[in-house]
Amino acid sequence: MSDSTGAVYDLGYEPYAGERRGRGGARRTIIADGIRRVLGLRRKARRKILPWTLVIIAVIPAIVAVGLAFFLPAGAADGIDLASQYGQFYVLGGTIALLFSSLAAPELLIPDRKDGVLSMLSSRPLTSNDYVLARFAAVVSVVAAFLLLPQLMLYFGEAGTHADGIFSGLVDTAHKLPKSLFVGAIYTLTLVPLAFVVAGLSTRKAIASAIYVAGMLAVSGVADGLVRQADFVGNRWFALLAPFDTANSLALWVFDESNPDSLLSVAHISPLIGLASLVVLAVVCVLIVLRRYRRLM
Amino acid sequence: MADTSFTTEGLGHAYGRIAALHSLNLSVPRGRTGLVGANGAGKSTLIKILLGILDPTVGSATVLGMDTAKELINIRTVVGYMPEGPCLPLDQTAADFLVYAAGTAGLPPQAARQRASDVLTLVGLDEERFRYLGDFSTGMKQRAKLAQAIVHDPELVFLDEPTAGLDPSGRDEMLNLIARLGTFGIDVVVSSHVLGDIERTCEWVVMLDAGTLLHSGPVGGEADAGTVRVEYASDPSQIAGELTRAGAIVTTTGNKIVVRLPDGDPYTLIRDVSAHHDATIRRLDSGGSSLEELFIHHGQPL
Repeated sequence: MSDSTGAVYDLGYEPYAGERRGRGGARRTIIADGIRRVLGLRRKARRKILPWTLVIIAVIPAIVAVGLAFFLPAGAADGIDLASQYGQFYVLGGTIALLFSSLAAPELLIPDRKDGVLSMLSSRPLTSNDYVLARFAAVVSVVAAFLLLPQLMLYFGEAGTHADGIFSGLVDTAHKLPKSLFVGAIYTLTLVPLAFVVAGLSTRKAIASAIYVAGMLAVSGVADGLVRQADFVGNRWFALLAPFDTANSLALWVFDESNPDSLLSVAHISPLIGLASLVVLAVVCVLIVLRRYRRLM
Repeated sequence: MADTSFTTEGLGHAYGRIAALHSLNLSVPRGRTGLVGANGAGKSTLIKILLGILDPTVGSATVLGMDTAKELINIRTVVGYMPEGPCLPLDQTAADFLVYAAGTAGLPPQAARQRASDVLTLVGLDEERFRYLGDFSTGMKQRAKLAQAIVHDPELVFLDEPTAGLDPSGRDEMLNLIARLGTFGIDVVVSSHVLGDIERTCEWVVMLDAGTLLHSGPVGGEADAGTVRVEYASDPSQIAGELTRAGAIVTTTGNKIVVRLPDGDPYTLIRDVSAHHDATIRRLDSGGSSLEELFIHHGQPL
């Protein structure tokens, strides 16, 4: 018979006497959770499929363009000139970002309401504004990164194919980065607030995504028809009804790749007015969601 | 340190035209407090006002000595809340959710992970920490809800119907957990419409009915060792009359009577009077339920 004896210890309860970060800590936690949620991180595998598929689709053209540029430099016959691709890549990336936003915003807002998580958050050191703005910051961060990733690949690709070497290339093409950041901000400002307001007012994720994408396409078609086909005084201002077309026009304008066929050009509306209309729209959308959540939390 | 868990002064709330709370004046000491009342009595409304989720229509309230109208964020830093309804993200694991819950209470990430692990063990979910909450049973979900309410080590936790939907063993475990919270230095306000749950876990009781205060006082303060509850097969009014004439204090509700005999043995008296009337006793409880008596006294059977 063994002489060894055992004992069961109740570990009891250890009170927490450490740091409490209050409201700021709570906001940072919600932002970090939002970024993970949008990307499906620490979720079941099927939650990762859609966001990561879109990320791959967004970067593949940039990878292909950079790869071709290495083999067919800009100076050669039929060479690939990456320097002239930034604006066009934003037009392509913006379309994919529109789909991405249609998934991201509902994923952030609707499950918290549907699963009752808001009632838990209502007892935390947060206001409804804190919650909404933290969720907004999360989706803005992810969509902005989503838009900038292909641009950074183009930037490093252009620098890598520079005739004087990559370090000279990084310096010579550095002026493109502020433009890239600015255009990324324009697309984010265009896509996220609208997706956010649709998600804030919808009860099902799939329906919110469908309404958002269909709505963006529909207003674009209607605005295009009214500006190009209609014949009444002031019809040109309907160009501002199509925020996605406005963002596309602004992207090309910033990169000096103006398209005379863009809606803003046809309507003879200054890009700055287009930009102002996007800012106003974004502010209105966020205010609507803030107001809605004041009733919920 | 505040002497009271919460106080209210002329507190009222109305949902549109429907008044949920009427001019409530309360001062509830630290410790474990039960909010008891039938469905619609105003228990959840009171908790939501104390947490700042609802604004009072009239009056004011304090939690741990802090005014709910002026120091809401400070209050929320030191309280926890287990809502009656669902509050769990079904696509997260228990461990991830608890880390998130601790983070939203302001704990730094490393401390949040440590607390999540400790509290999951405390509520008996340590084996299930990597399971998704959507795959949890009702009992496990209730425990996870309790865990999120205490993960940040609050001074006071509000538990809204914590035993709802639980089977007898799950209910027993939950009540044991709630009773243990006091030993951890966490004050508890637990709402329930089950009197037995409150009697078992609480030191103070607040009784509400249709938004008005029926009683606020220590549990057991109104208990009387000489009290017996009897249920008869037929109308006990004649028996009640004879018991009263014999010096007992009798409250009658339907076929039930609650008998209190200040001097003497109530059992002998009940036996003799029942035998004299040839009455059939269906049920006899020694001592009876003091809270239930109080409700019966107020004419509000649960």
